[in-house]
Amino acid sequence: MNSLIKEMQALAQELLASGEVKGVFGWTKGSRWYLTPPLFIQKAEDAIKLHYDEFAINNLTSLLLDYRNSDDKIAIFVKGCDSRGILRLIQDKQVNPEKVLVIGLPCPGMVDKEAVKDQRHVHDLPLLRKCQECRYPNPVLADRTLGDVQVTKEPGVPIGITAERAIQKGVGSKGKERYQEVKEIEALSADEKYAFWQKQHEKCLRCYACRNICPACNCRECIFESDKKGWVNKAATTTDNAFFGITRAMHVAGRCVDCGECERVCPAGIPIMKINRKIMQDIDELFGTYDAGTDLEEAGPLNHFKLDDPEEFL
Amino acid sequence: MSTVEDKKQTAQDWEPNIVGFACNWCTYAGADLAGLSRMQYPPNVKLIRVPCSGRTNPQFVLRAFQKGADAVLVAGCHPGDCHYSTGNYFTRRRYLLMQRLLEYMGIDPRRFQARWISGSEAPKFRDVVTQMSEEVKALGPNKKLREEL
Repeated sequence: MNSLIKEMQALAQELLASGEVKGVFGWTKGSRWYLTPPLFIQKAEDAIKLHYDEFAINNLTSLLLDYRNSDDKIAIFVKGCDSRGILRLIQDKQVNPEKVLVIGLPCPGMVDKEAVKDQRHVHDLPLLRKCQECRYPNPVLADRTLGDVQVTKEPGVPIGITAERAIQKGVGSKGKERYQEVKEIEALSADEKYAFWQKQHEKCLRCYACRNICPACNCRECIFESDKKGWVNKAATTTDNAFFGITRAMHVAGRCVDCGECERVCPAGIPIMKINRKIMQDIDELFGTYDAGTDLEEAGPLNHFKLDDPEEFL
Repeated sequence: MSTVEDKKQTAQDWEPNIVGFACNWCTYAGADLAGLSRMQYPPNVKLIRVPCSGRTNPQFVLRAFQKGADAVLVAGCHPGDCHYSTGNYFTRRRYLLMQRLLEYMGIDPRRFQARWISGSEAPKFRDVVTQMSEEVKALGPNKKLREEL
């Protein structure tokens, strides 16, 4: 892992010193052993601040939106799941692929910092659920790669210098069970489902953290920022929160890259991915299997149609 | 529907409130023909004319439920007949997902329907509205997703 960090620092240093890129998005070691927050550097001498470990959970791709009108080239470090966010932004024509330098990293599998028991001493932590369910542990798109990782567009097993650790920890071991939680909710009665979701929507603060982190939520002006009275309501009441939640789910339907960041950043603990996963499952069932953000050429399921699509209720 | 109205209504004389989004080129013409032909159908459906069934944003449906609709109908041209060639194919994909999502959120799928009704299908319009009205009447008033009054 240390050699990988050295490689990252050296590459960032070289890119910034040569002027090839004007900035680099990466991670740095935080104030605690279990924190690895995002870092943006613009000077070559800051490259030594870069860090990467199993706490580098943040998907940095939505930060590129700050540079969508910029002529400067920006470099960004990505794990497998993050790289699908880059594809999302390119497909949505939000970033110019020529203005981004994507550096793919091997992923050791991210761990759950919620499970920290002793803040003062380093101890073993379990793998995040999303990493257990991970199907794309390697970058699907990268201009450069570090740590022997290879660009793979198909679901697969971890590759690269951290692969052994990742497989041992169980990255991707539950890939086939990823719709299990959705099935559990589907099995409830209508009133139980409604009560469950009402309880979730009640908690929403309308802080829009889910929207801000999401690479698929890349509208220049979000409808929920609109001040057209009577159309969307900004009050954080249960019904308006449900309106927000369902609308957002429909907006990212067929475009969600399954990075799980919305759920991670939610301060109220709303299981947002259970909604997104439900839509993914239905897309697979209705329109054929589709993984958003894995193929630049393939149009999203709501962006095209087939003449013989199912008509189960029409 | 206001609170006062709600309270006045007893179980027997309750009439459902159905919001129908009708495409300008087919369903609206079909509904018009039903009227011209003096066809009898329940007056519970309130039609909103939209340029194309593809114009009905999922938010329209949610907003209707919030504002007191007991059911929502989205209706447009038959596949292949769209005035804009392909609008209704997109509608079909979108609302297949939307109906399943609403069901997942605990909304009865009978409260949200999509239908293809052409300009000449006045009897079909009458039948769809009659059937939906009866079904929703049996289900009772919708309390889910509604704004607190």
